[in-house]
Amino acid sequence: MKPPLRLAAAALCVALFFAFTATPCRALATLTQLIDPAEVNVGDQVIVTITVQNGSMDNLRLPPVDGLQVAGTRSATNITFSNGSLSRSTSFNFALVPSRAGDFTLPAFEIHTQEGDVLHVKPMKLHVLGTGATPSTNTVPAPVVPSSAPTSIPATNLPFNPNGPVVMPPTNAAAAAPPASGNAADTTGSNFSLPRDKDGGPARVFLVITPQTTDAYVGQSIPLRIDFYIRMEVNADQNSLPTIKGSDFLMNNFTTRGHASLVVLEDQQYERETWITAISAPKSGDFPLSMERDTYWIKSISSNSLDPFGGLFSRHANLAHLPIPSNQLVMHVHALPTEGKPANFTGAIGQLKVTGDAQPGSVAIGEPVTLYFSVSGEGNFDYVRCPTLPDDPAWKTYVPSSKTTYQDESRTHAVKTFEQAVIPQKNGNVPLPPASFSYFDPTTKQYVTVPIALSEITVTGSPTALAAAAPGGGADSTTASAAPKTTELVPNRLEIGAPRMSLTPVYRQSWFWAVQGGLICLPLLGALFLFLRSRSTPDDGRVERALRRHSQQQEEDAMAEAVRRGDALAFFVAARHAVQLQLGTQWNLKPEALTLGEIRGRDPHLAESLEPLFTQADEVIYSGQAGSNPDLAQWERNVRDLLHLQTA
Amino acid sequence: MTMTFFLHPLRLFTLSLFLFPFLLHADSELDAANRAYSYGSYDESAQLFQQIIAARGYSAPLCFDLANAEARAGHTGAAILNYERARYLAPADRDIDHNLQLARKQAGLEPNSYRWWQIALRSINWMVWLGIMAACLLLIFLAVIGTAYAPALAAASKIPLRLLKNIFRAVLFAGIPVCLLLGYVELSTVGFTNRIEGVIVAPKEATLRLSPFDSADSIGTIPEGELVTVEQRHNDYLRIEARDHHFGWIREKDLEPVIAGSFDAGPSN
Repeated sequence: MKPPLRLAAAALCVALFFAFTATPCRALATLTQLIDPAEVNVGDQVIVTITVQNGSMDNLRLPPVDGLQVAGTRSATNITFSNGSLSRSTSFNFALVPSRAGDFTLPAFEIHTQEGDVLHVKPMKLHVLGTGATPSTNTVPAPVVPSSAPTSIPATNLPFNPNGPVVMPPTNAAAAAPPASGNAADTTGSNFSLPRDKDGGPARVFLVITPQTTDAYVGQSIPLRIDFYIRMEVNADQNSLPTIKGSDFLMNNFTTRGHASLVVLEDQQYERETWITAISAPKSGDFPLSMERDTYWIKSISSNSLDPFGGLFSRHANLAHLPIPSNQLVMHVHALPTEGKPANFTGAIGQLKVTGDAQPGSVAIGEPVTLYFSVSGEGNFDYVRCPTLPDDPAWKTYVPSSKTTYQDESRTHAVKTFEQAVIPQKNGNVPLPPASFSYFDPTTKQYVTVPIALSEITVTGSPTALAAAAPGGGADSTTASAAPKTTELVPNRLEIGAPRMSLTPVYRQSWFWAVQGGLICLPLLGALFLFLRSRSTPDDGRVERALRRHSQQQEEDAMAEAVRRGDALAFFVAARHAVQLQLGTQWNLKPEALTLGEIRGRDPHLAESLEPLFTQADEVIYSGQAGSNPDLAQWERNVRDLLHLQTA
Repeated sequence: MTMTFFLHPLRLFTLSLFLFPFLLHADSELDAANRAYSYGSYDESAQLFQQIIAARGYSAPLCFDLANAEARAGHTGAAILNYERARYLAPADRDIDHNLQLARKQAGLEPNSYRWWQIALRSINWMVWLGIMAACLLLIFLAVIGTAYAPALAAASKIPLRLLKNIFRAVLFAGIPVCLLLGYVELSTVGFTNRIEGVIVAPKEATLRLSPFDSADSIGTIPEGELVTVEQRHNDYLRIEARDHHFGWIREKDLEPVIAGSFDAGPSN
């Protein structure tokens, strides 16, 4: 097979592999649906949002309902890379306008995706009030979207769903402006449009803010979604975050980076960054709400004409830089009602649940009981304080500690726990003081006081005074031999002790470690010195001794071989030489110089032992044969014993 | 020459006459502080003890007395802080621990007495430790060098060569493991005790924040007197760990270090 064919075959295999493995992994299509608000006045607009996850669709129509007119339709596709996987969602927004009062039901219907999935849309109910009535929700009703603007979507009325359907940017053909000149939507706060550039196309970069509601109370935490859109061809790295304009609102700090996703709007690909946060207003009134982001985008790309690769390696993006404003809304901030405000109200606003517990159920007098309170739900948890306990002479209360665990990105859903120590002042079955917690519910627009039932505590023992000792008794506690067992403060010491100007431990001083490092270096230097010394003065005798040991081993082997062959001449020659080598090493003499006379001069006792061997050896060497028939094996044992004895 | 100067009785007497007023002055300050304490003027007593500490330095009795005065004056955070300092200087002192636990109990805090091994580790005198380490390492060094010159040393000292070599070997075989053990214990102990700790001194409670900014969300509160560990610093905020791995940022002024000045040398970002 030729190389190109081989390459093509490999590519085909890879393609087939992905085709077969990817198909079973395709996620099933899912559907979310929403109608908001569910209650409106006649003439007000209702948004029906249907989002299909992991499914492709070209078009979608709502079944017709008598009394409901479709004022506008818009679809958007959202492609998101998350955790290495690609997800796609298509969102359809229908603006419906009721023409009469009454209860309406959008009937159930089916959606068929291009992948063959069938999705079932459930019925949706809508309650329409007569003109002049007030809907129960506090969401601002949105005006009718002009039917002449098919891309128009009212941003303020979009449902707040941090993870949900695509939020279309505002559309307003009249507010067409290039990015450099600011792409703010109209400032009426009622209707927005997709900002446009001078050429009439969608703006290259814009910012959209979507609060959960535009009606709020002072101090209430309002979840806010911020979407920053930038067209892919002008996308550049940003080094700033959106900031709120003015000082009418406080915004939570962003705790995470914006969620990035790809969005297609009017056939243009955008990168969208989304943040979920919360704002609150410190004072009442109607205030404009808008944000801006210091933004960079690619204005043009220049390349070096001398580049032989046609600018492949010398492209340079020219960046433009301006603060991009968002759409502007008007927030209606109401003061909290003074009527019916509980005494223990601390500013908590939301829908909250409170629980309480006390542990242990039985204590000795003077021992603490810990009260555990938990406040959970949605609200402004900065203002959630520990449930209050009324003064009770039977209990001494202490400052509680608290811990807040936020459960969503906007930090409006959380669990705040409190631990408070209380100490009984009398014994018996002592009921804990009735705790209560108050908050303002913006939905019902009323204060709520929640009583918290706490169990009775069994207190044993007799009362003792805590820290009631008279000071300055004059006793020097240093003379006390045993630990104090009272519940009083041990009195003052009367001596100064051994003062030191600094409490810093010595191990935090650099010299402490430097000294130890130097000391550790000493033995290492010593070892290095020994090593270098041994290298510079080589032991000449070592080599000679090694050679002698080797020769001796050879002679011993020769002895064994001679015994095996019965060769007396070879045996005695080898045996005598082995003994000479052994003694030569021991006495630091040349082996050849060790005659029997020499040995006798140094060690007569040894010479006496060796004399038979040397005599026999001389005899055999000079005569060429053994005089008698010697027992070579016995001789070998004797010689080996002698050699080992000398070695030992 | 210096020693002879001090050993001379007449000169020593003259010197004591010069030093006496200063010693008397220090003792009179201590007496005044204790007197104010016994008369119930706890704020004044605390102030006087603080002055003595500022002039003469920290000692376990002085910190203990100051803590007693602060406790009586109702300054829970300052009292616990000074009890902690006293305990740092005298970890095995049971009176200090008793008063500290009493103050914590009165503040609604859980007891935090040391266990025996914590007392042992915190009682280590690092200068003595350094001396032992130095002695061991010097002995090893001498043994190594001595091994090289053993024959000459044996000849000079009339000690048999074999005995001398055995002595050097024994020093090496015993000294090296001892040094390794000492080093291990030292590093472990420093790792255990080298935390930067502080006590909440903000009245009633301190607010724990999500990030080191005034506008950051509160993620809880820590009551006055609680002992926390400081991990990081950012401008005027310190990242701390309280009980139950409860992390957050707290304003520096709400916290006082147990070891004075340790926040300045602490980690920062």
